[in-house]
Amino acid sequence: MLDEQPRSASDFATLRELLLGPERQQLDELADRVDAAAITPETLADQLPEAIALRANRDQQLGRALAPTVETALRESIRKNPRDIATAIFPVLGPAIRKAIAETMAGLVRSINSAVEHSLSVQGIKWRIEAWRTGERYADVVIKHALVYRVEQVFLIHAETGLLLAHVTAPGLDVPDADLISGMLTAIQDFVLDSFRPGEGGTLSTFTVGEHTVHVEAGPRALIAGVVRGQCPEAVPQRLQRTLEQIHLEYASALAEFEGDPVPFGSTGPLLEENLETVLSTDRAAERRPLLWLRWALPLAAIVLVVLGLVAASSRRWGRAVRSMEAEPGFVVIDASRSWGRWHFRGLKDPNARDPRTVLAAAGLTPPAIAGEWKPYLSLDSAMIVARARRMLGVPASMTTTLAADTLRVAGNASLAWLGALRAAPAVPGVSRVDLSAVRANLPPGIDALRRRIERGRVLFAPGSFRVTEAGLTEIRGLATAMRQLSDSAAAIGASLRIDLVGRTDPTGTDATNQSLAELRVDAVMARLAAAGVPHAVLEGRPLATAQPLKADDAVEQASINRSVSFEVVVTKGSLGPRGP
Amino acid sequence: MLQKKICMVGMFGTGKTCLVQRYVHSLFSVKYLTTVGVKIDRREVQANGQPVMLMLWDLEGRDDTRDINTSYLKGAHGVLYVVDGTRHDTFDKMFEIRDLVTRTIGEVPSVVALNKSDLTDQWQLKPADDRRLADKRCSSLLTSAKSGAGVEAAFQQLADAIVAPTGAQR
Repeated sequence: MLDEQPRSASDFATLRELLLGPERQQLDELADRVDAAAITPETLADQLPEAIALRANRDQQLGRALAPTVETALRESIRKNPRDIATAIFPVLGPAIRKAIAETMAGLVRSINSAVEHSLSVQGIKWRIEAWRTGERYADVVIKHALVYRVEQVFLIHAETGLLLAHVTAPGLDVPDADLISGMLTAIQDFVLDSFRPGEGGTLSTFTVGEHTVHVEAGPRALIAGVVRGQCPEAVPQRLQRTLEQIHLEYASALAEFEGDPVPFGSTGPLLEENLETVLSTDRAAERRPLLWLRWALPLAAIVLVVLGLVAASSRRWGRAVRSMEAEPGFVVIDASRSWGRWHFRGLKDPNARDPRTVLAAAGLTPPAIAGEWKPYLSLDSAMIVARARRMLGVPASMTTTLAADTLRVAGNASLAWLGALRAAPAVPGVSRVDLSAVRANLPPGIDALRRRIERGRVLFAPGSFRVTEAGLTEIRGLATAMRQLSDSAAAIGASLRIDLVGRTDPTGTDATNQSLAELRVDAVMARLAAAGVPHAVLEGRPLATAQPLKADDAVEQASINRSVSFEVVVTKGSLGPRGP
Repeated sequence: MLQKKICMVGMFGTGKTCLVQRYVHSLFSVKYLTTVGVKIDRREVQANGQPVMLMLWDLEGRDDTRDINTSYLKGAHGVLYVVDGTRHDTFDKMFEIRDLVTRTIGEVPSVVALNKSDLTDQWQLKPADDRRLADKRCSSLLTSAKSGAGVEAAFQQLADAIVAPTGAQR
């Protein structure tokens, strides 16, 4: 039995092994597995972080499941102790708030700058007029002229189908056909790729149409396209690229599963809008300020120069006018001034002075209007004396008058009547003598013929001799007849007559000898004329000797004609006054 | 709104462009067809109770299948094949084009428009051709760009095939 006992036990074990072996092995394995899988707080603590990471990588179920719990916990925590949460998020919130404020302020400053610069400038007024004329908004007109660049539209496009996922536009812009444009952009991408085969990774990234540039950044599942008006800086495509990368990251599954429903991409709006940007040249006003200043300064300087030029010219004219008046004979300018449109002069004016307007016109000046305040006076200026003498003596215009010291010399032909009237003329202030030696009387024809006959006559002498030759006697006889007739004719018209006998010699011999020879020749001829019946009173000797020789072509002839006595006839009305030199 | 990309393909002169011209919103001119090789139009339809925007890619008609730019087919949700019923060769060629499309983008819902149905006296398609379409499981209908007959129906049929009634889209 003892043997049986253990044998039966081992037999039972063997039997059990035979009957239940495979199942038992499975049970053992299960038991091991259950032991291994038993979740204790310790094992959970070890595996939880890894598990969360694993699940989060796989899908978003964990996040969705935890979200309500986390939200509740957060709410509870804030309710219990808000200070801790505030402290915790402060480092994040601070910069965010600062950034928001800074951006708002920058925008405000920009708009103030722009408003100040454009509202008051000529350009601003021009733009306002344009806005009023075209009916556009003022802001749009400013943008049109001052725009550096503006990102007007951003398209998010599904790469494979070309369908529009999302689209944002700048304020005020309406693009009704964004979906068509989106499709065509993709088609054009394909077209360019097929046409030029740029190789791996090549895309049509930029194209320019008029003032618009389209930047296309391509990702594996989506394209982003920005439409930029104006001068597009490098930063714009870079920012588009960053946005596209972010969208690929955040919307990876939505992009992969896209079947034409754009709703999941509605939330990309804010991301895309970050790319919309308007930069005006007024934002760079500081750089342009010197030019702006110049734009004002140049015309201003030109105006100032013109005004200064006009003032200077006017001042020069006035100076010239005053000088002309001061230099004009017959005026003494005491005071000269000018006001708008009127020149004032005050001083003395000789009655014979010219009209001030004539004086200024002669100087090339046309005065606006002249107000003169003149007191009369007698000028001793030679021109005034001459003018006065001519007026007082009634000198005909055909005669000339010159003044040397206080002697007025009159020259020209004068009528006997005028010569007669001259006797009774009043004394002219500034003139003590009137020289009439150069005045020829206009004689009646008969008298004049006799005068010419006498003045043609000449009594010639042999060298060194004063003896009247035969020829000389014959000449004297003829002259005496003419002189008698002249004397009678002059007496008949009440004119007085004087006949000068001018005695000359040739230049040989001493002056003293020649002078006495000339006197002797005059005396000889005078005696013969008197003997021939010419009234002695009309004859007057003028022995000049060699002083004023008669001129001839050759020396011998000249010597010959100067050995002579010749005659000068003076006929005048009344008796003649003192003779000139 | 749900959007779907539809490609319209067919040989040169089958009347693709004329077929849709009156039924779509166009932004681009017809000359895009000859320059870029495609023109995109838009048509909104109701399919299985929901509005769908069909973006119609009108591909330039070519006589040689090899000349078709397959890039434009990418991502198409449906294809409208256009055959000129008065030219039998366009019908034969359609199957070649269909093979090309299937090779490029896989099986997608499609409709064959047998166009120019108003020209009955010149009609060249025979009952045998209908059988051939049925064999290939091609749904087809008669259309006329001139009268407009069948055009709306073609779009509707295609949209219905693309947008499943449950809302679970293909």
